[in-house]
Amino acid sequence: MALKALDIYKILPKKNCKECGFPTCLAFAMKIASGKADPATCPYLDEETRQKLGAATRPPIRLVRIGVGPRKVVVGEETVLFRHDKTFYHPPGLMVEIPDTWSPGQVKVVAAQIENEMFTRVGQDLFLSGVAIRNVSGAADTFQKTVAAIEEMVSLPEILISDHPEVLEAGLIECGTYRPLLCAATDANYTSFCRLATKFGCPLTVRAGSVEGLANLTTKCVQEGVEDLVMDPAATTPREFLALSTQIRKAAIERTVPAVGYPVYCDTTTYPDPDAACALGVLKYGSLIVTRPLEYSRKLAFLTLRQNIYTDPQKPIQMAPGLYPVNSPGRESPLLITVNFSLTYFTVLGYLEGAKIPCHLLVVDTEGLSVLTAVAAGKLNETLVRESLKKFGAEEAVSHRTLVLPGYAAPISGRVEEMTGWKVMVGPRDAADLPEFLEKEMG
Amino acid sequence: MALIDQAVQTGNTVLKENLARLAGSFSYEETAYQLPIAYALTGTAVRDGASAQDAFARSQNNVLIAVESLVAAREGQKKPELPYTGFIPDAYLRKLGYSLVDGSILGLALLVGKAPRGDMVAGLCRELQEKYMLTFLTGENISALEQERVKVGVDYRLVPLGPDALSAVHFVDIIARVALMFGGVTPGDAGRLVAYAQERAKAFVIAFPDLTDEEIAFIDAMRVLGIPILSVGGGYEGGEWIPVSVAEAVPKGMELKRIKVQVTTVAVPMHCSPAFEGKSIRKEEMYVEFGGGRSPAFEILQMRPTDTVEDGKVTVIGPEIEEVKEGSAVPLGVIVEVAGTRMKKEFEPVLERRIHNFVNYGEGTWHVAQRNLIWVRFSKESVAQGLRIVHLGKLIAAKFRMDFPELLDAVQVTLITEEGKVREAMKAAEQVYEERDARIAGMKDEDVDIFYSCTLCQTFAPNHVCIITPQRLALCGAISWLDGRTAYEISPAGANQPVKKGPLIDARRGEFEGVNRFVRKASHGEVERCSLYSLVDAPMTCCGCFECIAVVLPEVNGIMVVNRDYRGDTPCGMSFSTLAGTIGGGAQTPGFAGISKLFIASERFFQAEDGHKRLVWLPSQVKEEIGERLRKELQKEGLGDLYDKIGDEKIATTLEQLATYLEKVRHPVLNMTPLL
Amino acid sequence: MTWSGEIDRVHIGATKQEGGTRSRVCTVGGAKNLPFLEGASEMPLIALEICDDTGSWSPIVLAYTGDVTRDAGEWAKKAEKEFGADLVRLHLTSTRKRGFSDVRGVRTTIEAVLQGTGLPLIIEGSNEPSVDSEVFSACGEAAAGERALLGTAEADRYRSVAAAAVAFGHGVIAQSPIDINLAKQLNILLHEIGMPHDRIVIDPFTGALGYGFEYSYSVMERIRTAALKGDTDLAMPMISAAADSLNIKEVREAPQEVRDETAVMWEFCAAFSAAVAGAEIVCVRHPRTLEKLKKGFAHLAGEG
Repeated sequence: MALKALDIYKILPKKNCKECGFPTCLAFAMKIASGKADPATCPYLDEETRQKLGAATRPPIRLVRIGVGPRKVVVGEETVLFRHDKTFYHPPGLMVEIPDTWSPGQVKVVAAQIENEMFTRVGQDLFLSGVAIRNVSGAADTFQKTVAAIEEMVSLPEILISDHPEVLEAGLIECGTYRPLLCAATDANYTSFCRLATKFGCPLTVRAGSVEGLANLTTKCVQEGVEDLVMDPAATTPREFLALSTQIRKAAIERTVPAVGYPVYCDTTTYPDPDAACALGVLKYGSLIVTRPLEYSRKLAFLTLRQNIYTDPQKPIQMAPGLYPVNSPGRESPLLITVNFSLTYFTVLGYLEGAKIPCHLLVVDTEGLSVLTAVAAGKLNETLVRESLKKFGAEEAVSHRTLVLPGYAAPISGRVEEMTGWKVMVGPRDAADLPEFLEKEMG
Repeated sequence: MALIDQAVQTGNTVLKENLARLAGSFSYEETAYQLPIAYALTGTAVRDGASAQDAFARSQNNVLIAVESLVAAREGQKKPELPYTGFIPDAYLRKLGYSLVDGSILGLALLVGKAPRGDMVAGLCRELQEKYMLTFLTGENISALEQERVKVGVDYRLVPLGPDALSAVHFVDIIARVALMFGGVTPGDAGRLVAYAQERAKAFVIAFPDLTDEEIAFIDAMRVLGIPILSVGGGYEGGEWIPVSVAEAVPKGMELKRIKVQVTTVAVPMHCSPAFEGKSIRKEEMYVEFGGGRSPAFEILQMRPTDTVEDGKVTVIGPEIEEVKEGSAVPLGVIVEVAGTRMKKEFEPVLERRIHNFVNYGEGTWHVAQRNLIWVRFSKESVAQGLRIVHLGKLIAAKFRMDFPELLDAVQVTLITEEGKVREAMKAAEQVYEERDARIAGMKDEDVDIFYSCTLCQTFAPNHVCIITPQRLALCGAISWLDGRTAYEISPAGANQPVKKGPLIDARRGEFEGVNRFVRKASHGEVERCSLYSLVDAPMTCCGCFECIAVVLPEVNGIMVVNRDYRGDTPCGMSFSTLAGTIGGGAQTPGFAGISKLFIASERFFQAEDGHKRLVWLPSQVKEEIGERLRKELQKEGLGDLYDKIGDEKIATTLEQLATYLEKVRHPVLNMTPLL
Repeated sequence: MTWSGEIDRVHIGATKQEGGTRSRVCTVGGAKNLPFLEGASEMPLIALEICDDTGSWSPIVLAYTGDVTRDAGEWAKKAEKEFGADLVRLHLTSTRKRGFSDVRGVRTTIEAVLQGTGLPLIIEGSNEPSVDSEVFSACGEAAAGERALLGTAEADRYRSVAAAAVAFGHGVIAQSPIDINLAKQLNILLHEIGMPHDRIVIDPFTGALGYGFEYSYSVMERIRTAALKGDTDLAMPMISAAADSLNIKEVREAPQEVRDETAVMWEFCAAFSAAVAGAEIVCVRHPRTLEKLKKGFAHLAGEG
């Protein structure tokens, strides 16, 4: 059971020295409790208390970084079984498999695509995360050449996959300083893998087919000095993967088996249905997902799924406020107002686009609140409407002076009319009724 | 004059004898349920005299079975002639079942006996039609209706069953089949059949005089199915039959079976929708206004006994629109009287506040403020389209019935526009306002056995449970105990549920077994205990809507409170938004709690930690806002000088500054036991 | 994981012995654990959605499916024989037109679909209160005895559809707008007017992938975990249809050569994820999505 802030406060020195960077011991305790501060930053903590706090407040799943630079993959530090319980923090790395048997040309095309192809959705840039270079040839020098070819072209996070330490070492000569993930150590060969991981300072994947097996292996690797670990439950079917990844997540966050507190690896190429496996990996606790190259549709769909699942349920995605043209409107086209809660925005936009009605959509900043809540909280008010009209150039964009408020904003319509001088019409409550409303009311 | 008990006895004997003589075979076509009453009660298929006698015996001599068999044999020999329907086929019952769930038929009524006058039957039938009832008729009442030129037939919702009251057995076999077809009752399960009929069969009987003893015995036997028998026009004495006047008959029957007519339209000459809620009527657009300091005006809603409220009735006392000058200010008294079996006096103020919304829903009507401060306007445009003062009443009455169908059975509105009478009625209203205020202000947690929960915020804080008590508002400040209670009564399946306090665990902390049990369940097992008056030991969970956050300051032995609007630094080292981000989401965080502004001035304010004596810091804005209440409360607690010792952001934004200040003003926390 | 609750079983479709004409009965529910884990229920079922007026139907689906889309009966037949659907979900889109009055046409369509396929049916009636009563009683009657699933009941519009379900022995879909408490409330309301629990299927509303899907995913997980923890008012099977999937920008504006594939992937991701979150029935419109889901579910259920 995690310690509460007040319990932590009670065992802190209560000197309010501020040396930890927080203004009070209580504020520090709050941060420790939520896993956002390290007890070790308190200079006056005795060793025993530090140990005690560390064990109780350390993130239940270790944060592991793969790669370097802006595109590095950071996974782990998850705290819940269901995203509605808090949120999922670190989206899984989607790593594209490149076998070392490919021609240099093929390698280059795929690697360049991964590095450069990007989709922008709701203000976020979506990329595939990196490459998983697999030693299919069995030869160390072929593997090394492939790694070198990739290194020459792109700076993406990498997974190096081989059962042979000497093959991996050959690859590490090319990329060892860029924190690639080594894959994968087993009970039989973990010492040599650990030696490599230590030598190059790389994270390491361990492979075992059960929770106990994984716990055993991670414990041994930690004893060998390797702490940045990733676990491959080596499931043979998606069903088995789901069962194991669920057991692992539960055991880790409840701290019943602290030794499985590491991110989970999911190789979709081993399953007969890689699409189902990939979706499952994203949904159910996969942190590093290896996939065959994804063409346009798959890539966009899986990146969107990942974005959805890893959105903080308590902080809905917000649209940038502004004046958005819909269906190439003219100066006579109607002006509609909505809020910057992304779901509201997309729903409204969907119906407008579907109905092919040209109009201007003014998205006002309600800090991501829906219309109903924004009105209730007083965030959507006449001042905001007036300022948004001015700020986003609505007065210039349209020749008329009529605006349509969402149905749930009816209570403020009078005040908006008074403050803006615009004629206010109250639209429907349900966006689905918008096309009919516009047709009827605006001709 | 027939004595019921006696007649039942004689009638039963006759029916039993007739049944014993019954021979030959008989059955109904167009049904899968044999003789439905016998089939439902005993599970046997009656086909002839012998099986009828057998079923009768197995049902412990239920005369409904006797009558059903006798009528079946009779109709088997000779089909009833038009307009009589006789036995009604299953196919029609599907449609009936649909209409009953759909709400297009609200219930079933049966008229038996001989009405003293034809127009009496006609009047009752029309009333039943208007109230969406399906009416069954027997005997001479049918010809009486034809003479009164009332059309009879299934399409008119007036079903002529047969020539005598015994034909009304088809009324009962319909109820039996509804239970079998739609209620999941298995044939032979008499217990479930009776339970189903009592609970769900929205049916009653109106009995006129002149029934024979057998008919009385038969009608009386329907009571076991929960069907009340109302006698109109006298003629019966004793037993459980309820004598009523013609005018009372239908309303009484509907009330007894909890049948409610749904109001779906507002008959006023203007549009009426929440979309118009925010639309104001400017001076130049206004035809007439009421109140707003320009003329005396008030509104009040009170509950009354059912028999004194006539649903939908609107009375205007004083001049109508035609008699007032355009642009003038007219006195107005709005008196709303409501009745309902589930209505309670405490709901009055909550409902009264809805008048504001309802009047604003009207396209040409506008309303602000409440009680004796109201200000109402009618627009020129709407008055030109026919809007009158009476429509204000129609609007209010209809909207109340539409929005509170479970709570209110009848709403009547009186509108006074005559100055003298307005002033007079206003004086009486003002007394009621005062009484209400006194009652709410004086209400304490120990006065009630039930608190209310609020789980509205579980949408984003899945395990959060607010417990609302008379002395502790919901942490968002928006829902009082009375609001919670009203919300529950109006929507029993909604987000506000009653929470039985149960045995007291600790008075000082405000911990109750019932509350703990509720919280455990509603938090899906995440929260074990909840103390209503403690900040440190199992405080309430926080969603994210809290008006304020209370925080322990162990360093100075006190408690600080910060409100949402205050954006600066606080002595605990965390701003409101930092605090909110850490404690929200439905977690229980000892030492931190989300609270409403008013709770700061509550007698219960963290009494487990010694309450107000611990209060050391409050942003000046909220301190001023609740200043009067807080001073009063502190005075009452004998802490009259404490108010000025509470620090604010002008005095301290760090722990050190606050400690210095508390020292300077000799705040009581200095001499108190440590908080932790 | 061990739980105290169990999901109610709902049967859809009635065979000849049961008074209907369906060739099989679909049973959903019975789960005692989260989907696809030990003790979970059977495979999720896949319904292919068809309609009687294709005006608003995705051109992608119409083009792929071909001429049969002009005849709901033929379409339903193909759904069974060629595409391998478990259920057919008929949307009576003709009732959505302004000034609709052709109730007889609705009956004819339903009869044609019942003729065309032996699969159990889901029937989606009108969404306009002024014609609800007529349309739903027609739906109920035309499919009497077939134990269909009728949709869609909502908090402010449930009487007609529930009435048809009660009167003609069908089940009902209870839709709430992505809110666990409203879902529960609606189930209670339906129960109060005589709908037994084992004839209700919850539709928590599913947003398209990228368009609020995450809310739907989480509310399904919440409804299911609440039910497994013992909340009987939520212990019904769930149905999910990300109906807007094919109308969203990413699909509409996908390059011509990959538009079909994007449509399939978009439907697939939402339906597959919904099943992982707890939906017992998922509904799709593109026949190829159906095929793909079948394969995915089979692997996940350990049957391949």
